[in-house]
Amino acid sequence: MKSKNKHSLNPDTITVSQRVTKEDKMDTQYLKAWEAELNTCIRCAYCFEGCPIFKQLGWEVDGARGKAVLAYGLLTGELEPSDYVVRKIYECSFCRDCTERCSANVAIPDILAAARADLVSAGFVYDEHRALLDKIKQTGNIFGKKLTPPIREGETPILLGCRFLERSEDAQRYLEILERIGIKPKVFDEICCGMPFGVLGYKDELIHHQQEFRKRLPGDEFICLCTTCTFFIKKSYPELNPRYVIEVIRERLPNANVKKLDLKVTYHDPCNLARGLGMVDEPRDILKMIGVEVVELPTNGKEAECCGGGGGLLVTNRELAEKIAERRLNEAIELGVDMLVTLCPTCELNLGNIAKRGDKIEVRNLLDLVWQALK
Amino acid sequence: MGKNVDIKLLESIVGKENVSNHPAIRYVYGSDASVHQSMPDVVVQPRTIEQVQEIMRYANAELIPVIPRGAGSGMSGHTVPIDGGIILDMKRMNRILEIRPEDMYCRVEPGVVDDDLNRALKPYGMFYPPSPASSRIATIGGEIANNASGIRSVKYGATRDYVLGMKLVLANGELVNLGATTRVEAAGYQIHRLIVGSEGTLGVIVEATMKFIPLPKLRCLGMATFDKIEYAGDAIADIITSGAEPSMLELMDHIAIKAVNTTLNIGLPDVEAIVLFEADGKVKEAVDYEMQTMKSICEKHHGEVKAMSYDAQERTRIYAGRKKLFAALSRYKEGLACTALADDMAVPYSKMAECAKKIHEVAEKYGVIMTAYGHCGSGVMHTKILMDPTKKEQWEAAKHAVEEIYDYVHSVGGITSGEHGIAISKAPSWKKARKDLLPVMRAIKRALDPNNILNPHKLMDAPEDWLTATPLRYWVKA
Repeated sequence: MKSKNKHSLNPDTITVSQRVTKEDKMDTQYLKAWEAELNTCIRCAYCFEGCPIFKQLGWEVDGARGKAVLAYGLLTGELEPSDYVVRKIYECSFCRDCTERCSANVAIPDILAAARADLVSAGFVYDEHRALLDKIKQTGNIFGKKLTPPIREGETPILLGCRFLERSEDAQRYLEILERIGIKPKVFDEICCGMPFGVLGYKDELIHHQQEFRKRLPGDEFICLCTTCTFFIKKSYPELNPRYVIEVIRERLPNANVKKLDLKVTYHDPCNLARGLGMVDEPRDILKMIGVEVVELPTNGKEAECCGGGGGLLVTNRELAEKIAERRLNEAIELGVDMLVTLCPTCELNLGNIAKRGDKIEVRNLLDLVWQALK
Repeated sequence: MGKNVDIKLLESIVGKENVSNHPAIRYVYGSDASVHQSMPDVVVQPRTIEQVQEIMRYANAELIPVIPRGAGSGMSGHTVPIDGGIILDMKRMNRILEIRPEDMYCRVEPGVVDDDLNRALKPYGMFYPPSPASSRIATIGGEIANNASGIRSVKYGATRDYVLGMKLVLANGELVNLGATTRVEAAGYQIHRLIVGSEGTLGVIVEATMKFIPLPKLRCLGMATFDKIEYAGDAIADIITSGAEPSMLELMDHIAIKAVNTTLNIGLPDVEAIVLFEADGKVKEAVDYEMQTMKSICEKHHGEVKAMSYDAQERTRIYAGRKKLFAALSRYKEGLACTALADDMAVPYSKMAECAKKIHEVAEKYGVIMTAYGHCGSGVMHTKILMDPTKKEQWEAAKHAVEEIYDYVHSVGGITSGEHGIAISKAPSWKKARKDLLPVMRAIKRALDPNNILNPHKLMDAPEDWLTATPLRYWVKA
């Protein structure tokens, strides 16, 4: 071994780094509100365990803790908002697995939403995001086309959500489910709940959109068919009281005339349903009621792995979102079942796209099975 | 900082995709679960032993610090590159190489996560017991480097008790095989035991041979409440000296209880102290005997046993307060951060209650909030300092509180760290208490790492003041 005596490596001499903050740092009007929450995070790294992005990419900057640290760096001005930092802040599916596993339940997705809002304010805008939001502004839905809701003049307002609005045949069937369990649906000329504005960081535009959304609602209480819309509305419109369709079905299904389906499937818990709304038993109870046996995935309930489709990831980095879905789908295939059922239309879309390529497993919405059982 | 690291060379060793000196990556890898922050010059993710050797040869020739890093969950600044250099992120070397149930050992790469190893051992009816609270993400390499342990260390010991051998890359890139695969070895220096707890200062662990043991078939957990913490302390000391064999023996003080009750609303009894006691084993009669012994001792010391159960769900309920304590502390009061300083001292059993009282006294004196809880069965007292991390005066107060608590701990024959290691935060107090040991440790360090490139400025070489050793990772306002 050769020995040199460079000054910096003398154990008695240390070059201690200094905190470097830029005077002209990015304006962090939204992140400021999260400073205490970022200090609550003890950086224990427990959030690595289930983070789907970390599992795919493997650098600490990809895990939830790493992203919280990036947000802190933007807040303090120690980090400049480069394209790389922006990409990392947007590479999150908002699955909330991190919050669920966190000792202190630190809301990292909410912190990232604030970071995104500050980045947007600073001019870091993805063209794909802008195009999506413009579609909503122009047509009221994420598809940017005229969609006609299957109007029903009943008593209980039903919010379909963009994805079911576009899948009109499915929407008709799901409305039939409600009718068969004694509900008279009132379908109205709805617009998007505004979730994309929120998760992609367009807070100012969200406020304006929310006003429009509220104007279309026939009342504060309604049933919502989409998992993500329900979760977003509960979080972002505290004055509204939506019920998720699955709650209503579970209450009323025991009194309905149900045909047992005699199927064996696996069930993928959507993040916004299990972790967001806390509904883990409800879908399983319903599947049991209609004679469907559930073979559980290795991670399920509140610890279920994400499909990769949330948080705008399908728009920001589709390849990554699909890799996450592929991993999840492979777990289902290994169970030896023919069908994976889920509830969130985005999970259905992302997992379904991968399933179609492999032809090894079918992906269906749980509501399809309920409809079949009530036929 | 600002080392002239040859990125192209590192890329040629591990591949371009496994090297990054991007400011954002350096910033993220500049902190861990401690209060410290200092950026590395580059982060490298090696996949093979040969790659680690090549990196070390290069770093040793160029005098560039190298800091091996597992999950980065250390609470004392173990992986914070105080003087810059190369972070070796070992998480990609995460293969379980061999499980030999017939010989009761396994060989693993350093990046294997503790829980993953236990999942792999479970089908054989075996387990690897040291599991710290962070076992879900903690890597075996990190656990060895820190001699990690957890709630069941009272019965099963710490990581050191399970390391049979290892492959170590020295500072100059040489690879050495240490230890054995047998349970006993009497052949010269037990160097592998020296590496356990060396905090990355003596070599890079690139493979470990770990022993494992059969899983217990039964577990029973009880909860006893005490009106005075002295009674709880006496009961703990008595349980240990009685010869009872708890598999867990935990203490929670009234601040811990209040934190759980006010933030989580799970209705723990409003008393001065709670003791959780657990026994495990193969035969119910034997477990019953242990539980009854501990119950009687608690009652002898004015404790009231509120619950005792074998049922897994009930055990989860009984343990919920302790399990969620950390969460409760983090949410104790808006604006306060839960900092790991003076957080894992160990004291003699007879001083457990007195230590808890001293912690409360010091906290009050310096205007911070401190709780006392921990794995008292193994003598470990945990505490966290809850403070406003944005205020400079709070840090000064914390510094004095830490100093005073450690002076007390050492005066009663206790030690600085039972579980979390020394690194930066605890070095000043530890060095003060172990002056006699420092020259020996420095001599060992110089022998194995003459150029001082492996995790420099930690342990015996750490700065005298943890508060100024690195910038704090919190944004302290003027």
